[in-house]
Amino acid sequence: MFVRMIAKAFLRQWKKMLLIAFTIALGSSLATAMLSVMMDVGDKINQELKAYGANIKVVPKDTSVLNELYDVGGENITGAYLKEDELGKIKTIFWAFNIVDYTPFITAEASLDNGDKVDVTGTWFNHHMDLPTGEALDAGVASLRSWWEIKDGDWIDEQAEDSSSLAMVGAALAEKEKISVGDTIHVTGSQGENDLKVAGIFDAGGEEDDLIYVTVDTAQALGGLDGKIDSIEVLALTTPDNELAEKAAKDPGSLSVSQYETWYCTAYVSSICYQIEEVITDSVASAVRQVADSEGQILEKTQLLMILITILSMIGAALGICNLVTASVMERSQEIGLMKAIGAHNRSITGLILTEIMCTAVIGGVLGFFAGMGFAQIVGHSVFNSAISMRPMVIPVVAVLVAIVTLIGCIPAIRMLLNLRPTEVLHGR
Amino acid sequence: MKKRKMYFRMITASLLRRRSRMVIALLAISIGAMILSGLLTIYYDVPRQMRAQFRNYGANMIFTATGDSIIPEDVDKAAALIPSDKLVGMAPYRYDTVRINDRPVMAAATDMKGAEKTSPFWKVDGDWPAQSGEIMVGKNVAETYNLKPGKRVTCTFAPEKEEEKGPAAEAGENQGGTDQAAEATTEEEVVLDNYIDFTVTGILDTGGKEENYVYMNLQDMEELTGKETVYDICELSVSANAKELETIADQITESVDGINARLVKRVTQSETTVLTKLQALVLLVTVIVLALTMICVATTMTAVVAERRKEIGLRKALGASNKSIIAEFMGEGLVLGAVGGLLGSILGFVFAQVVSMNVFNSSITLMPWLVPLTVIASVLVTGLACLIPIRSAVDVDPALVLKGE
Amino acid sequence: MSLLELKNVSKIYGSLHALDHVNIKVEKGEWLAIMGPSGSGKSTMMNIIGALDKATEGEILLDGVDIAKKSASALTDIRRDKIGLIFQQFHLVSYLTAVENVMLAQYYHSVPDEKEALEALDRVGLSERAHHYPSQLSGGEQQRVCVARALINYPEIILADEPTGNLDEANEEIVVELFRKLHEDGTTLIVVTHNPEVAEVAQRTIVLRNGKVDHETINENFTGKIKHITLQ
Repeated sequence: MFVRMIAKAFLRQWKKMLLIAFTIALGSSLATAMLSVMMDVGDKINQELKAYGANIKVVPKDTSVLNELYDVGGENITGAYLKEDELGKIKTIFWAFNIVDYTPFITAEASLDNGDKVDVTGTWFNHHMDLPTGEALDAGVASLRSWWEIKDGDWIDEQAEDSSSLAMVGAALAEKEKISVGDTIHVTGSQGENDLKVAGIFDAGGEEDDLIYVTVDTAQALGGLDGKIDSIEVLALTTPDNELAEKAAKDPGSLSVSQYETWYCTAYVSSICYQIEEVITDSVASAVRQVADSEGQILEKTQLLMILITILSMIGAALGICNLVTASVMERSQEIGLMKAIGAHNRSITGLILTEIMCTAVIGGVLGFFAGMGFAQIVGHSVFNSAISMRPMVIPVVAVLVAIVTLIGCIPAIRMLLNLRPTEVLHGR
Repeated sequence: MKKRKMYFRMITASLLRRRSRMVIALLAISIGAMILSGLLTIYYDVPRQMRAQFRNYGANMIFTATGDSIIPEDVDKAAALIPSDKLVGMAPYRYDTVRINDRPVMAAATDMKGAEKTSPFWKVDGDWPAQSGEIMVGKNVAETYNLKPGKRVTCTFAPEKEEEKGPAAEAGENQGGTDQAAEATTEEEVVLDNYIDFTVTGILDTGGKEENYVYMNLQDMEELTGKETVYDICELSVSANAKELETIADQITESVDGINARLVKRVTQSETTVLTKLQALVLLVTVIVLALTMICVATTMTAVVAERRKEIGLRKALGASNKSIIAEFMGEGLVLGAVGGLLGSILGFVFAQVVSMNVFNSSITLMPWLVPLTVIASVLVTGLACLIPIRSAVDVDPALVLKGE
Repeated sequence: MSLLELKNVSKIYGSLHALDHVNIKVEKGEWLAIMGPSGSGKSTMMNIIGALDKATEGEILLDGVDIAKKSASALTDIRRDKIGLIFQQFHLVSYLTAVENVMLAQYYHSVPDEKEALEALDRVGLSERAHHYPSQLSGGEQQRVCVARALINYPEIILADEPTGNLDEANEEIVVELFRKLHEDGTTLIVVTHNPEVAEVAQRTIVLRNGKVDHETINENFTGKIKHITLQ
């Protein structure tokens, strides 16, 4: 009989039930969409913050103290270099997946035909790597220096055949030496010389404007620095630092074993640095604070903002559902008054209403969940041009939320019904 | 005239005496309005608030000298051209090579208070130098000389006698400003050297070149070198969007002779990119949340109105035309919409304020135009939400409604 | 000319003939009762006369005008101007006071006038309950408010559908007494009922059966007073 009553309620009141299901679906889709976006917003903003460039700099161990400090001579006195053939290893560390981009730099002193000294820096532009994992990565300054304004020409395409004879010239140098795109400049290094065709002129708004950028091979040939690298800039997606990370950054040795495990397996900038140092011989990897710290701050704020907006919309959805459930149950006061009059217990009435509403909630909730995933993807694609990854965690959270909210929504209505005196209802209020 | 009085009497009666239902409707509308006004406030305030966060990336404008160096008066003049509420911080820098243990070290002198603002990402182990005689050393320098906070270090400088040693030392500035050649002292001059005994207050960790420098106050530098204070470079952190920044920079370059104001592309460009995305995100989220909430409000209103089918039937039986029934119910709806909208915009502001205080630790700017907007929007939504069920109820045969349950 | 005349009126729901070629005439000032068992077509008849529903076929002449083919909004105007309705379930607006409920009818008809509405309530003996809500009134009182509401616009016909169905004997008597007064004032009364006691008071009774007029009785010794059959 219970089932029959519920079935009848659905059949007879399908319009009202539809309205409730619809509202619950809305609420649940809102929750799904907001939670998914909220959980993914960290990664997405992290991706966007790539615009600020590398957050880790790797230099040879010796230069990190000596070379830069005694940077009085023009030559690299100590001759400390990183090995080019180790570059690929960066993509093999524990947090390899978080390494989004990196590029090596090798600078050779050279002079132009008019005798002016220039620094020629070899780097990757859009270096293509096929990783052992089967993935491919295009790394280089083209993405790591997204703020460079290409005044004329274009980025060097490393895949082009003549890429080794191409150069990009800083705007300040180009102005001084009257170099324009398409010109051929002759540079003489300590160990070699080359005719370079100017592919592009860039404005970096900084000291890089005085440099010439070429491919790694070209620069190495000029300076006789085969297989050597000055520094590596790495862009990694990181987790904002906490106390543990700061403690570890000072000295990983001071951590207990379990702390070490936690630290090592979290994408703190310090643990990624540490792991890079493990694979690159004689290297010191340090966080570029300007980027690393600020990133953490902005990430934190964005996430907090999204969390609060999510909470607001949840409250909105919750109250909306509560409201509608209350309204629709109140509407049935007459029917329930009658049930009471013919001897229904409060318990059985409550059971009936709850079952009805919960059935509706399940249907609405499931539909809303899928709609919400759709909304999340709309946000992902229109804002970040990439899909929002769905976390399985969203499912139980939304399910519990919808259940709780619907139940709470029933409370005022049920309380009202239980206090209902059948006589009042049946005799026209 | 009498008729209108009765109209209002009916509406107020319906609103005041059907309290529980009206509370439900009002609650629904207020929530909708609150979300509308709250989210819109946040949407408009996010760029402003976030911009403050982006100031973490440090200076986004630098002054370089058109001549040899910048004189302090020019900096003051230029700073006056920047709206004071936009100027987050300003730090002039002066570089010189000093010696510690007879080895040359690049020393930077600056206004520490300003530097703390323009370079918030600097991590100082210890404290910033507060008074003269205190010094902050870069991490690498500290390692080389085994310095720790609290230790004393003597910096020497050979005045007047310095000779150019080697090519110009690298421009000591992380944003790549050009500065004029820093002097290097000669080793022969020992006796005449100026010196100051400094207390190390902090070790600087930036992950950049700053780790190779020592930082002292401007007066100490003046005393040490015996030269009057001029600046090599001045870093500024200005809270403004790229366009405003450009205007400010152009204006300064034009009107202050000794100064060339430039934007730090890396910071300004990237900020624009990220902020645009962020605002787009909040906008889209706002739109989705709003759309869903408005539908939610509409369904609640539908339920509330649908409940009164019988009453509509009765009114029809009494000879009310469809038009007058719609007018009555809409009247109620509009009053509800207006009251709910007003209530909601207040709640929304409170909400936005809470968010702002929690996320950004600063209060939100009140946008008065949002109140009428919210009220109008909620009146519209409520009206629309009422109209649909009323129309269908009005079309129903009164006989059926009155006879049936 | 009769005030109301039904000519060959039928109402068909699917295959069910709720009314089957009914012919009735009602004269001005007449007090007519319509009786019949459940399902005989009483309510259908009442809805059609009350301009609440349309007949499938036939003519309905009210004041000589055929209202059978009128549009819904024209029917609304007719209800408003010519007919006063009284229902078994009273149907008062719960959030309006008694006097406001009466004024509601004035409001739709012409102009609400509280004084007049209070006078109407006085006529049904409810002047001191005028500012009570329906929930605070007894069934009889509620029905009296309905009577006041029905007569406030001086309609051509007062149409009552089981007006005493929800009332006890004492209240029944009060309502019938009100009808008698209305009748004396010259109002045309059509009372649909299945209560013989209420029907017997009327001047004429039409008995419906299976959608047709079964027979008609005329009350020879009409007094307008109810005679209770008391069981001993």
